[in-house]
Order: sequence, then structure tokens, then C-alpha cells
Amino acid sequence: MVALRSVDLAVERGEVHGLVGANGAGKSTLVKILSGVLSPDAGVVEVAGRAVRLRSPAHARASGLAPVFQDPAFAPDLTVAENLRLTGTDQGAFRRRVGELGLDGVRLGEAAGSLPLPLLRMLDLARVLAHEPSLLLLDEITAALPADYADRVFEAIRQAREQGRSVLFISHRLLEVQEICDRVTVLRDGRNVDTYPTSESKEQRIVASMLGERAALAVTEPRKVARTSHAQPGEPALQVRGLSDGHRVKDVSLTLARGEVLGITGLEGQGQDELFAILAGDRRASGGEIVADGRRLTARHPHDAIRRGLTLVPSDRWQALLPQRSVRENLAVAQYTAPAGWGLINLDRERRQVAEAIDRLSIDTRAQAQARRLSGGNQQKVAIGRWLVGGFTTLLCFDPTRGIDVGTKHQIYDLFRELAAAGRSVLMFTSELREVPLACDRVLVLYDGRIVAELAAADADEAALLGAAHGLAEALTES
Amino acid sequence: MATATATTRALGPTAGQLARRHAWTGAVVAFFFLLLAWNASQTRNFGAFEIQTLLASTLPLAYLAMAQSVVVIGGGIDLSVGAMLVLVNCLSARYMEGTDLRGSLLVAAGCLAVSTALGAFMGLVITVSRVPDIIVTLAASFVLGGVALFILPTPGGGTSTGFQALVLGSGSAWWPALLCLLAPLLLVWAPLRRSRTGIAVYALGSDRNAAFLSGVDPLRTRVVAYAVDGLLCGLAGLATTAFTAGGSPQSTIAMNATLNSVAAIVLGGVALSGGVGGLIGPVFAVWSLYLIPNIMLGLGVDPSYGEVVKGVVVVLVVLAGGLLRARRERAP
Repeated sequence: MVALRSVDLAVERGEVHGLVGANGAGKSTLVKILSGVLSPDAGVVEVAGRAVRLRSPAHARASGLAPVFQDPAFAPDLTVAENLRLTGTDQGAFRRRVGELGLDGVRLGEAAGSLPLPLLRMLDLARVLAHEPSLLLLDEITAALPADYADRVFEAIRQAREQGRSVLFISHRLLEVQEICDRVTVLRDGRNVDTYPTSESKEQRIVASMLGERAALAVTEPRKVARTSHAQPGEPALQVRGLSDGHRVKDVSLTLARGEVLGITGLEGQGQDELFAILAGDRRASGGEIVADGRRLTARHPHDAIRRGLTLVPSDRWQALLPQRSVRENLAVAQYTAPAGWGLINLDRERRQVAEAIDRLSIDTRAQAQARRLSGGNQQKVAIGRWLVGGFTTLLCFDPTRGIDVGTKHQIYDLFRELAAAGRSVLMFTSELREVPLACDRVLVLYDGRIVAELAAADADEAALLGAAHGLAEALTES
Repeated sequence: MATATATTRALGPTAGQLARRHAWTGAVVAFFFLLLAWNASQTRNFGAFEIQTLLASTLPLAYLAMAQSVVVIGGGIDLSVGAMLVLVNCLSARYMEGTDLRGSLLVAAGCLAVSTALGAFMGLVITVSRVPDIIVTLAASFVLGGVALFILPTPGGGTSTGFQALVLGSGSAWWPALLCLLAPLLLVWAPLRRSRTGIAVYALGSDRNAAFLSGVDPLRTRVVAYAVDGLLCGLAGLATTAFTAGGSPQSTIAMNATLNSVAAIVLGGVALSGGVGGLIGPVFAVWSLYLIPNIMLGLGVDPSYGEVVKGVVVVLVVLAGGLLRARRERAP
């Protein structure tokens, strides 16, 4: 498999250089080469004019190239201090950087695995900065990062630029790229397609070169909320009354009509994980009730929720998929929730259903023998597609577009709209505020375990949502 | 000021964190002393002699549990520890026969060099070939067992009384066996645990990818872990020679020893998934497992039930540990 064909990229000293591209364009492979994880088949990497062969991550770091990955490079069972020793990081320098990033109360004796993921990623950044790298490689660092942390990351990037360091900033969030980068390079199919100064390029132009000519128009076309809601009156698909879970979820009530796409958003750790786990039958609530399909649901196990049409697509795709099995098996597995009779599996029917789902989601089946070989976007499509095969009333989707390219994102929004038109309901959590008006009819904002705001899609612009997500709901209701 | 708070709080681990980290070891130690007290209350004139018997007869398995711990902490498993014990046992018994203390010690040093090199070689094979640990070490166990049969086809051989006294003590002198047990802990493990390589062993077992990204060299780290494993297995073999005053190439000894080493590390708080645990817990687990049949005997129960009780204890303790952990994770 060829992930990178030919890439030429020059990052100037003191430049913040954006790297964008659809999933599978080769961004991650490029970063892996630059950080010494993979060796290139051909080509040269030059640092400050001198050619270097990056043999290992440690060697890359010593050469001044330092990566921060989406999954922090901390061994979970070691303390933060031990992890620092592993990378040979000076504790004093690390502490200073932690302070500069405004992270309070970080204990170096804490096991890394017991810290929340966003904080760990910030600590990874602090560690990398402590090495004073000449080129900082940031791979999707802001994905699912709470807004306050993301701001600090930007601050750190600006500071690094002032100090004459270079930054390679990889992100799916084009607005961020526009805001923070000096120039941006677009990758497509393992090649660099174009490089523009961000002062010249419009977001739409980046998207256009990212996708190539084909889908560009459809995506860049402004799609505001000029569409009809399919919400049906009458008995709702899902009703939640006064749901509580300790101090994580507090008195949450919501109603999801048939044919409605309801969004939920919030900063990291506002109770969304627990709320979705309870709805999916994976966690017990301490109070309140769930009414699905007009009957009270007390789920002891996800199986109970699935039987009542309440199915979850978790944020972690690895949790949903059988990574070593084929796309066909992954799509078909959800319909076998019980040993139905002891009969044989009707392979013809299964093949037909699977083919339908693949077709409907336009899943790229080139790597269909094992789900783990698919790109992130295609994995997500498979995770959703299994419920199209398995059947559901309400689809619970947790951050369905996390780390997915723009084209696939829009395909997923379109799918949600189609499902709604067919009378199905979707409850989706999203950390990306900008997608709320694109996919949802209505949105609820969680803050500290409570629903603090409810907005129609038309009013759900980024500013309003961000305000509510930071607990500024009062200001909202007044205006 | 944010900087000031971060700096002042970013000191070492708090007492609470330390307690949480070593909770399991503490529990196993307490469990052992409970059993010891029970056993002591059953035995008239319980004293130094009983302690010496406990330390001497568990010395081989204690070394073996430590060896297994090192590998499992590093994210692997070694099914050849028992075979390595038997091999070194046969090797040393054959060449120590008829020597004096000096000769025995020379043979012992040679045996340790062999077992350490074999361990390191195994680590090399596992890393380079990318064949899973469990397969390589299983295959190695057959090879080592076969070689042991070449060296000592039938039970026999011998050692010097001086060597026996040095390793196990004699009569009621219980401290030589304890010193022998502590020696590798203090001379090998303690410095390693504090070194970057030692941290790398834990990191490799905890999250291979994160360890690699942090600059851990998987080959070097695994070779070191398996070399320490080989060294400790060699000590276990020598202790067996001292304890039985001879060698035996029986493969059942190897199998039992391997399985017991796994039971001991699980009971001793080493996670089979890697990255968690230490060497002290497994040693106390070995002692505890030794006491259980004794206590059964004291209660007048058929000692065969001792094995059953041992198994039940391992399952119950691990189950209880899992439940406690689940509860702690649930709590805020």
C-alpha cells in the first residue's frame, strides 16, 4: 500500500505552516516520517539545510523535530515524572511550560493513565516545548480539545513563532488553520497539491483543492439551515425525564421526536459520556427514567437498549468495530443480537443487506478484508452502517465526525437528514460546534451535567453555542 | 499565579498516591502475615527453624516468580522459566558434584552466565522475529528441557555442603536464605528500576506505542528484561540444587514451576497486561501459597485439598482486586 507518493514541503524558520487534506491523503504518514516512526522509501528530510536520516523518535527529537500526536505518547501506568525521564525531559523546563500553558495542579507523581485525555495532550505539548524544538509537529492536536485548552494551544503556537521556531499544524478545522497559519499546504492522494499563504486563500479554495474537482462544489456551497425539519408530532421516539447520575449528570430531561436530529454539545467532561452510556444501557442512572417507543426502558445491558431500538455509535471506533474482521462481517454483526433459532445464517440475505449499506454510505471497500485497514472516515461509516443493517429507532452518535475529512462529514450529515426523512431519530453529541446547524434540527448544550440551553438550528451559531457551553446561558436567554 | 501553583504542586507523589500505587503489595504482605500467624498458632514452639524451612523451600519459586514478574511487567510472558530452572539445576548438579565451596561457586557463576545469556538471546529472538513471547518461550521450554536431559539423563549429581549452607543456611539460621533472596533485588532490580532502562521496561508493558514514541528502544529493553529473567531463573536453579542436593531433569518439575510462577505474580499484583506491579508482591505471594497447605495440614485436612484451596485463593483474591478496582474507577 502506498500512503505517500511524493511530497515536497518547506517550512520556513518562524513559520506556522498548515497541513490539510482529506482522510487518507497522507498527512499522518508524513508526520510519522518526520518524527522518526516510519522511514521513507525515498526522499530527503533536511533540517536547517542539513540532510538527516531520522532513525527513531528519539533521534528525530534530538534533531529538533518534535511531534504531538492525537493520542498522547504517555505510558499510562507510569507516573508523569517517569514518562518525562523516558524522553529525557528536564523537569524544571517542563514545569515552566506547564505553567505557561496555564495548567494548574498537575502532579508529576500521578499515573499518566489517570489523567483526562485532553490534559494529557496538553502535557505532551508542554513536554515537547520543554525540548525547545526547531520544528513542532502538531497532528490534530485540537481534535476534541475543549475550547479553553485550544486557545492555550494557539497561544503557545504564536509564542513559538515569536521565538523563531517553526510549526507544522495539521487540522481538519479549516477555520483554525486560517486563523493560526501563515501558509497552508494541501495534500491529496499522497501528493502536495498546492501551497498558499493563508492571507490569500479562502476556506472554500482549500476545500476545493483538498477534494479535487469532483465534490468541491457540493461541499463549499453554503448550506445554511434552509431545510425542513422532519420531526413528526405524536409519540416521541425517546423521552428522558430527570435523568441523574451522581454529580456527572444532573436532572437531564429531553424529548426526541420521530424524524428529528437532536444535537447535544458541550465542553469536555460535562456529563456527555455518562449520559450517552446510560442511554445505551452501558451504565446505570441513579435517578430518572427513559421512555423509548412509549415504554419505560430499564436497561441492564446494552442488549436491552438495542432491542428497543436505541443503538450507540461510540466515539471510539475501535470500540465499535471488530478490527480484524471484514467489512461484511462488521456490517452484518448487529443483526445477530441473539442466537436466532439455531439455524444457519442466510448468507444471500446478509450479502444483499451489506451491499445495500455499503452502497448507501458509499464505503470505500478497497481494504475490506479487515476493518482496521480502513481509513478513519470509512471505519465510522461501517460503525454507523451496521445499524442500518441491524435496524434501529433512535441512533445515538457520539462525536460521529471526529477526525474525519470534510467530504465524509457531509456525507454523514446527509445520511442523518435522510434517516430523519424516513422517520428515524438521531441523537448526536458533537464537540465541533460548527457542524450543529449543518446536521441538527435542534441542539441542547450541556454544562456541568445539566442542560443549560436549547437552541433551534437556525440560532445555533458558534458564538451562541460557545457562550452556552461555557455556562453563559443566562446571557443567552435574555437576548 | 498559575506558574507558582503549578510549580509547587508539581512535586513528588503524595502519600495518597503512594498508598494507592502500593495497595496491592501491602495487602499481599498483610495476607502473608495473617497466614503466618495462623500457622504459628498451630505449631508448638514455632520459631527460627520453621522460618528457615519456609525461606529455604520457597527460595527457588520466589526467584522464579521474580523472573516471571520482570518479563510480564515488560509486556511479555515467559513459559520457559521452569525449564530454565531445571536446566540450571541439572547443569550445576552435574558439575558441582564432588567440588568444594570454591568449586561450587565457580560452577554457579558459570551457570548464571549461561542462563543470563540464554535469556537475552530469547529476548532478541522475540523482538527480531516478532513472534509472540508465548510461542517463543513455549518452544524454548521444550528445547531447554531436552538439553537438561542430555546433561543429566537421570536424577543425580550433587553439590558441596558449603554451598548448601551458604545458600539456605543450616539448622535454624534463617538469614542466609533471606540474604540470598534479597541480593538480586538490591543488586540488580533496585538499580534497574531507577534507571531509564527500568522505566522503559514498565513503559513497554504499559503501552508499546507510547513507549516507542517516547524513544524507548524495544530491542534493547526487551533483551535487558529477558536477561534479568534468565539470571533470576538461574538463581532459582541453583537454589533447587542447594535444596535437593542434586539435580533432576523431570519435565513435570518445569511445568509445575512455570504455572506456579504465573499464579504467584497474579496473586502478587503484577498485571498480565503488563506495566503494573513489582517484585516484592510476588515473593510474598509465593510464601503465602506455601503456607496454605501447611495450615490445611494443621487443621487435619487432607493436604491434597491444599492445592484446591490454593487455586480458590488465587481466583478469589484476583476477583476481589478486580471488584475493588472497578469500584474505585466508578467513584469520582
